[in-house]
Amino acid sequence: MRAEVKEYNYDWMMGSITEAAAKLPAGSQKEADLSFRYIPYFRYALGALLETGPPGVQFLKMLSHYYKNITTAHDQGKKIVATTFCSTPLIFYAMGLVPLTFEVLTAVGAMVWKRGMFDYMDYGCEVGMPETSCSAQRGSLGAYLAGLGETIDFIVCDSPGVCDTNATAFAFAAEYLDKPFFQLNYPSTIGDERSQAYHVEDFKAMIGFLEKQTGKKFSYDRLESYLKEMEAQDAITADLEDMLLLVPTPIPPIYTLMIYAGRFCFAGHPEYTRMLEKLRNEAQKRMKAGVPGLKAGVERLRVLMCYIDHYTVDMNFYNYLEERGIANTGSILTRNFRDNNPYCQSLEGSCYGVDTSSPEAMLETVAQMNARLPMVRSIRGPYDQHGMWLDECLALARLYNADCIIYNGTSGCRNTWGMVKPFARDIEKQGIPVHIMYDDAFDDRVESWEASKERLDEFFTVRGLL
Amino acid sequence: MQVFKDVAARIQPQPLLDWKAQGKPVVGYTCSYLPAEIFHAVGILPLRLRGIETDGMDIGDVYFGPFICSFPKCLLQLVGKGMYKFIDGAIITPGCDSMRRLDECWRKAGEDYEGVLPGFYYYFDVPHKSEDHGMDWFIEEIEYLIAEVEGYFGVEVTDEKLRASIAEYNKGRRMLEAVESMRADINPVVSGADVFSATIAGSVMPRNEFTEQMAAWLEALEEKPPLDNVQKRVMLIGSISDDLELIKLIESQSGALVVSENLCFGVRGEGRPVDETGDPIKALADHYLGESICPRMYGKYKQRLALLKQKIEKARVDGVIMQNIRFCDLHGAENALFERDLEALGIPCLRVEREYGPMIDKGRLKLRINAFLERIGRRRARQVAG
Ligand code: SF4
Ligand code: SF4
Repeated sequence: MRAEVKEYNYDWMMGSITEAAAKLPAGSQKEADLSFRYIPYFRYALGALLETGPPGVQFLKMLSHYYKNITTAHDQGKKIVATTFCSTPLIFYAMGLVPLTFEVLTAVGAMVWKRGMFDYMDYGCEVGMPETSCSAQRGSLGAYLAGLGETIDFIVCDSPGVCDTNATAFAFAAEYLDKPFFQLNYPSTIGDERSQAYHVEDFKAMIGFLEKQTGKKFSYDRLESYLKEMEAQDAITADLEDMLLLVPTPIPPIYTLMIYAGRFCFAGHPEYTRMLEKLRNEAQKRMKAGVPGLKAGVERLRVLMCYIDHYTVDMNFYNYLEERGIANTGSILTRNFRDNNPYCQSLEGSCYGVDTSSPEAMLETVAQMNARLPMVRSIRGPYDQHGMWLDECLALARLYNADCIIYNGTSGCRNTWGMVKPFARDIEKQGIPVHIMYDDAFDDRVESWEASKERLDEFFTVRGLL
Repeated sequence: MQVFKDVAARIQPQPLLDWKAQGKPVVGYTCSYLPAEIFHAVGILPLRLRGIETDGMDIGDVYFGPFICSFPKCLLQLVGKGMYKFIDGAIITPGCDSMRRLDECWRKAGEDYEGVLPGFYYYFDVPHKSEDHGMDWFIEEIEYLIAEVEGYFGVEVTDEKLRASIAEYNKGRRMLEAVESMRADINPVVSGADVFSATIAGSVMPRNEFTEQMAAWLEALEEKPPLDNVQKRVMLIGSISDDLELIKLIESQSGALVVSENLCFGVRGEGRPVDETGDPIKALADHYLGESICPRMYGKYKQRLALLKQKIEKARVDGVIMQNIRFCDLHGAENALFERDLEALGIPCLRVEREYGPMIDKGRLKLRINAFLERIGRRRARQVAG
C-alpha cells in the first residue's frame, strides 16, 4: 500500500468527508461554490444528492452519522460488529451494537475518490485474499486488514449458501484479525416451512453468540420498537414503489440508491424514516405536477438492473442514466419483499409480513426478513426454481414496464457469473433484451467506466432501444 | 496397482465399462459430501465425476461465465461432449458457488445436447454448518435422497444394506489409512502418485473390486523395499485435483516425494472409518458432514490448521505446496492463512494458482516447484549440518 494512504484512518477520512458534505447546505452559496472546487471527482455525486433537496441532505447526514457511530463506538462503550449488506442491521441495533458493513463502506469510498478503493483492495490481496474475490468486501476490508479503520470486535455474516466469496472474505477477516466469527447459513430454498425453521434456529444461535460477545441479554422490547419503526419505513417504501410503477416515474435514478443504502445502514432507525418521508414528499410533489424524476424532464427508456448498480467514481452511472433519460426501476438491492409492495402480487409466496405479537413471532419475522434481503433471496438455489431470480426478474420487468434488463455485478461474483449466460438467454426468450456488463461495480480497473458506457450505448443502439 | 493407475487416468476405465455392460446403473456425483454408501447399498455404482481428458472449453464457456473455476467448466465440457452419457443419474452438491451453478448449466446443456441430462438428476443441499440444526438438516437431506433413489430406481435402501455398505467402504478406508502410514514412514515404500491413484480409484470403480485390489496392493507393499532418494518430503493441499500430472510433476523432480496431502479427491475424506454400530444414516451424516474438513465449512479454520499440523508432523513434511484453481476463493483465501501460520512455525510453503484441466501451465509450475524444492533442500542441508 502506498505510504500516503497509510497515513490516514479510513473511517475518519470518510466520516470527515461525509460530515463536511452534510454541512454544506447550511452555509452560503459562496462557501458551497468554493467547496465544490476542492472536490473535482466527487462534485457530480454531491451535487446530485444536494439537488434532490431535503432527502439528499438527510441522506448525507445519515451517512455522516453512520461513520460517527463507528468512530465513536468504543468511546461510548459499544462494540462494533462487522457484517454484510445482506444481513439486516436491525437486530444488531436492538442489541446495542454498532454494525459496520463492508460493502457500504466500499461503495462510499469508490464513489468519492478518483483513486477508488484500489489501494485497500490491493492490500487485501497483499495479505492473501484472492485477487478474484469480490471487490465489494475487499475494498473497505483492506483498510481494516491494514489496521487503518476502527477496531472490529467480532464478525457476523449471512452469506454461506448464497455467496462463497462474500463468506470467505468474512471468514478470512475473522482469522486474520483474530476475531470471533458467526455465520448464518442459507439453504437453497426459501419460503417453505423447513428452511424457515432452519433460519429461526440459526437466528437463535446468533443471538446466543451476540449475548456471549456483549455479556448482555437480548432485549425483545428493543427489537419490537425497531420492528415497529421498520413497519413505518416499509409503508413509505411501498408508496415509493407505487410511484416507480408510473410511466414516466417521478422517482429519479438516484433515489433507489438512497432507499437501499439507508436500509443497509439504518433499518429500524427514525433517521432513515425521516429520509424516506422526504423522498416520498418530493416524489409526490413531482407526481402531482406531472413532472418526471429525470432532470431532462423526459423518460426515454426504463431499465431494470437485475443485480446491482455501478458505484465507481462520482456516481457516474447515475449521471449516465440522467444524461440519456433512462429511468432506473431498481435492482435486487431496492426490493425488500415486504408483503405490502405491488410486486408481491406477481410473486406469490415470495414476500413476508411483520408480526410483533411475541418474541417467537418477532424472531420469525426477522428470520423471514433477513432471508429476503439482497442476494440471500434472489441468488440462492437454482435461478430457475419457482419464484426465484428468473421469475423475479421477469415479474419485475413486466410490472415496472422495463424496456430491458441489465446485469451488472463484480468479477468476484462466482455465484452469478456461474449462470448469468443461460439466465440472460431465458429472459431473452421472453422478449426482453438483456445486457451483461463485463465490468466490476466497485473497480474501474476491470473495465473502465468509459468502456462500460460505450458498451451500454452500443446495446441500446443495436437493440433499437434508444 | 496397475488397475488403479488405469482407472485414475481415464473417464471411462475398463471396470466401469464392465459394470455398465452388465446393465447395472451408475450415478455420478460432484462432491465429497455425498454418502456413496447409499448407492452401493442398492447395487448402483456411485461415480465421482471428474474433468480430466478435457481438450477444450467451447461448451463449458457457453454456459458458465468467465470468472469461474475451470473444474466445473471441464465437467460441463465433458457432459456436452457426451462423455458422461453412460451415467443414469447425477447429483449436484453446493460444494461451492461454481459447483452449485453446474446444476443449472448442466440442465440447460441438456436442452441443447440430446441425451446428456441423465434421467435421475438431483440437488443435494448440504449445509455449511454441522452443529445441531445443520446436522438435522443434513440427516433429512440424506433421507430425502434415499426416498428419491428408491422411487426412481425401484430399490429399497434398508438399514441393514446401509450397514453392510458402510462396512465394505470401511475396509477400503482402513487400508488407505494403512497406506497413509507407510507413506508417512521415515522410509516410505510408496509414491504419492500411486496413493493418489488408489484414492481416486476408490471413488470411481466398483467398490468391492476396489477393496480386493487394495488388499492385494497392500500385501505387495508390505514386501516392498523403501524408495530411493527421498530427500524432500512434500505435502500437497488446496483446490480440487484429480489429475495425476500435478503430483507426477512434483515427484519427477529429484529427491521429491509427496508424502501427504489434503485434497478433496485424496485421503482427506477417506482416511477415517464410519461408525458401524448405531443408526447408519446418523453415522453417515456424522462422517460426511460432521467430520468435514473443507473450507466451505466457514469458521473452522483452526480445526483445519490443527489437522494439517498433525499430518505434517506425522509424515515429517519438509514443505507444503498449496495450490488453488483460479477463481477458487475457498482454497485461495485459506491457503494464504495456512501459509502465514505454517511459515511462522518454520514450515516452508509454496502458494501457486493454476488452472484445472490439461496442464497448460506445466512449465511455469515446474519452475516454481523447482525453486521451492531448492529452498527445502537448502533448509534440510542446514538442519543436517547444524
Ligand atoms: S456481489 Fe456477488 S460476489 Fe459480491 S457479495 Fe454479492 S453475491 Fe457475493
Ligand atoms: S476447486 Fe474451489 S472453486 Fe473449484 S470446484 Fe472446488 S471448491 Fe469450487
